[in-house]
Amino acid sequence: MANVTIGSSVRRADGLEKVTGSAVYAGDIERPGMLIGKIFRSTLPHARIVKVDVEEARRLRGVVGILTPEDVAALPHPTYGPFLSDQPVLALGKVRFVGEAVAAVAAKDEETAEAALDLIRVEYEELPAVLTPEMAIAEGAPILHEERVWPHVVWSDLKSSDYRPGTNTCSVFHLRKGDVEAALASADVVIETATRVPVVQHAHMEPHAALAEWDRAGRLTVWSSTQNPSVIRAQLAEIFAVSHSKIRIIAPYVGGGYGAKAHPRIEPVVAALARKVGRAVRIVLTREEVFLTVTRHAAAVKIVSGVRRDGTIVARTVDALYDTGAYADSGPRTAKNGGYAAPGPYRIPNLRVESSAIYTNKMSAGPYRGFGVPQVAWNFEQHMDELAAELGMDALDFRLKNIVGEGDEIATGERLHAANVRECLVRCAKAIDWSAHPAGASRQRPLPRRLARGKGLSCHIKSTFTPSLSLASGRMNEDGSVVIYSGTVEIGQGARTVIAQIAAEALALPYDRVEVVLSDTDVTPYDQSTTSSRSTFSMGNAVLGVAVDLKQQLMALAATQLEAAPADLELRDGMVTVKGSPGRALAYPDIIRARFGAGLGALLGQSTFQTEGGKLDPATGQGKASAFWFAAACGADVEVDVETGSVTIRKMAMAVDAGRALHPLNCDMQNEGSLMMGLGTTLYEEMLFDNGQPTNPTFLDYCLPTFLEMPTEFESILVETPHREGPFGAKGVGEVGLPAVAAAVGNAVCDAVGVRITELPITPEKVLRALSARWEIEAGR
Amino acid sequence: MTDVRVTVNGATVSVPIESNWTLLQVLRDRLGLKGTKEGCGVGVCGTCTVLLDGQPVSSCLTLASNADGCDVLTIEGLGADGRLDPVQQGFLESTAFQCAFCTSGMIMATKALLATVPDPSDEEVKDYLAGNLCRCGTYIEVLQAVSRARELARSAS
Repeated sequence: MANVTIGSSVRRADGLEKVTGSAVYAGDIERPGMLIGKIFRSTLPHARIVKVDVEEARRLRGVVGILTPEDVAALPHPTYGPFLSDQPVLALGKVRFVGEAVAAVAAKDEETAEAALDLIRVEYEELPAVLTPEMAIAEGAPILHEERVWPHVVWSDLKSSDYRPGTNTCSVFHLRKGDVEAALASADVVIETATRVPVVQHAHMEPHAALAEWDRAGRLTVWSSTQNPSVIRAQLAEIFAVSHSKIRIIAPYVGGGYGAKAHPRIEPVVAALARKVGRAVRIVLTREEVFLTVTRHAAAVKIVSGVRRDGTIVARTVDALYDTGAYADSGPRTAKNGGYAAPGPYRIPNLRVESSAIYTNKMSAGPYRGFGVPQVAWNFEQHMDELAAELGMDALDFRLKNIVGEGDEIATGERLHAANVRECLVRCAKAIDWSAHPAGASRQRPLPRRLARGKGLSCHIKSTFTPSLSLASGRMNEDGSVVIYSGTVEIGQGARTVIAQIAAEALALPYDRVEVVLSDTDVTPYDQSTTSSRSTFSMGNAVLGVAVDLKQQLMALAATQLEAAPADLELRDGMVTVKGSPGRALAYPDIIRARFGAGLGALLGQSTFQTEGGKLDPATGQGKASAFWFAAACGADVEVDVETGSVTIRKMAMAVDAGRALHPLNCDMQNEGSLMMGLGTTLYEEMLFDNGQPTNPTFLDYCLPTFLEMPTEFESILVETPHREGPFGAKGVGEVGLPAVAAAVGNAVCDAVGVRITELPITPEKVLRALSARWEIEAGR
Repeated sequence: MTDVRVTVNGATVSVPIESNWTLLQVLRDRLGLKGTKEGCGVGVCGTCTVLLDGQPVSSCLTLASNADGCDVLTIEGLGADGRLDPVQQGFLESTAFQCAFCTSGMIMATKALLATVPDPSDEEVKDYLAGNLCRCGTYIEVLQAVSRARELARSAS
């Protein structure tokens, strides 16, 4: 079978719609009689709700109905949350963050709905708020969830964590291996690094949008800007106690998510409001509301390592606190995944990790590109440079001495396969001309008068959502063209294109003979989620299975029609041919026509793909965490202005192991995305709070990287180490590059000016402050 | 309500509006032109960019009444006779989009740029498009698209 499309950057299937503005997003959809919804939000971080008065708002002309906490309390299941069902559809009893939904209005238009919000009166009794994880776990801290439910929808991997109901500790992940205390005591050098990352926001350009409509037979349809239709369906089914078959979730094109749209966001409140008013209701959030909806976990991370003089790491401890906000959301899994990633891609025989998700009075933190790893990589990869400096070793050599390779045991005790972090690192080092660089001397050398140049490296390995389940189906039409039904959401990553490529390749068809029908739970079979860079691997395998199913049907039919043994047949250019006898061949349409004795008909194919693992021993964190591992590295070449503290990126290199790059341009573009988001969170982005009130929730005040913040040069490197279970050897690449960005820049800054910034973002103020401290110390010597 | 009279993509229409309505509301909610998107509502992200008498504006900040008597060009108005505009063709060929929520605005801003500076350098393009955010980080491909669009426009003229 000749390679048709795999490995080639074919024209994207969604291109024409997207450049003509005709691609449809959830907020573009309208239904007959549709109303516009608006959410009334809390203004206090923690308060008991004394009274919600909506009478005046209800009387406003054009208001059709108002959903109140009383309505929500009467629902069969008033809370949701895919991991812990702790988030009420509207605040019940108390509010736990500024911006929490307290009521929702449905009105004839947006202006009326907004005017109605101004007429709602809520009386609160303010409670003391906990604003940081440290405050939250302090003795006597106010408790956010006095009565906490046990994990509700339990994914098996979440049993690996320890839950502490009745406290502000949502979950703790433990990892234990070897004898850490003895190893640290015997080490030649022991160092500790403590770092922090602030709250940042996904800032997908398309705000959350959802439209819900119940028909007269009690069937619910939701069009949503979501990465996860199957979870939305399951959660709505539970909230309203209706069967899954009575709920249909349609995800049209999604305008970016990066994790923010992986869990229910506004779908529960929109569906409850639509049910109450008996009309279709659409809510599209404002940008300010998006900032109040979900964020990335802030985190405080402390790492201690012991090394021998020869550069062998012998032990490491990690203590990580992830701020999960008012509701668990992804907290337990984020803390777990970050926890076992924190030892880094290194062979370390003795480990102790405690990684917790902590409740605070902020909006929930949820999945974010990199899923828990950026927070710890910011520490452990700067930690590696600190260790190397202490040992007087080159930072690259020190990493390579300890780095994990094929078949090596990693932190969770499993063996690494097809995650070539060594090659990623080496190629990034080469891309920034590391070997020509005098390493590790910056702390001693005098600073230049104005511009100081520095280089930094960083690498990591990362897990994927495991176990993982994807189903797909497909049909070969009478003319030999193919339609694939895949629940993967087209969120910009190019899913439609790559899915079509996989099916085309396996069926020996041109790429443009395959159409892909995207996520609609009435049509497309179950798929776990469009997250965790899992689609190419999991959905890719499911789609490959559909193609193989169709192929076997074609071969079985052709075997009879050609009077040949199926084993002697192959697919070639849209035909089943007898191997070695190109003349004996049947085109797909002829096979299907002969099968049905008619000009019309179709073959149906289906497939289920599931990965194993995910469940770790709760005491030791040992087991198989991930079906496959991602590997990535970054190299940064920066210039620091000693007078202003500003950091200019001269060159960035990012290498990821794609397994096999099915569509190289898509892979490179994922790297570009990881790079730009990574640079944003490294240099500029931070959500600020004043007593729990977000103070910069707009694009005026929360600054994203623009064209002007592009690095002068960027090199995207695709390493290809085929994975034995990947479709054509492929794995995903969507989020793997991002976690490496911050520490590479941090290391380069330190290399340039000899100061270590421990708290993101690396602002000019922080650099200048650190430089002043260095000068004071040097002046005092 | 008062009437605003605008020529949108070549067709003159009269739309009853409230005085506080934005051009974006009129385009999306009254005229059904959904290709223009809202990203931030405060005129910062460039997502809602349309051309008002040839000038790029944030339609989320432009009062509809200020468009009275003006020509408005939106993404739906680009291209003719089933052919893409060179800018659209450039974006298509360069794959200058991912989620594409910003793409309409990016294309309209590029249209305005090439109308005033037919042969911009990369630095000029970056400066001009700095008000159009792409969170997917597709900036490299957009630069390529602008350059491709320039070539296409040149060979067409």
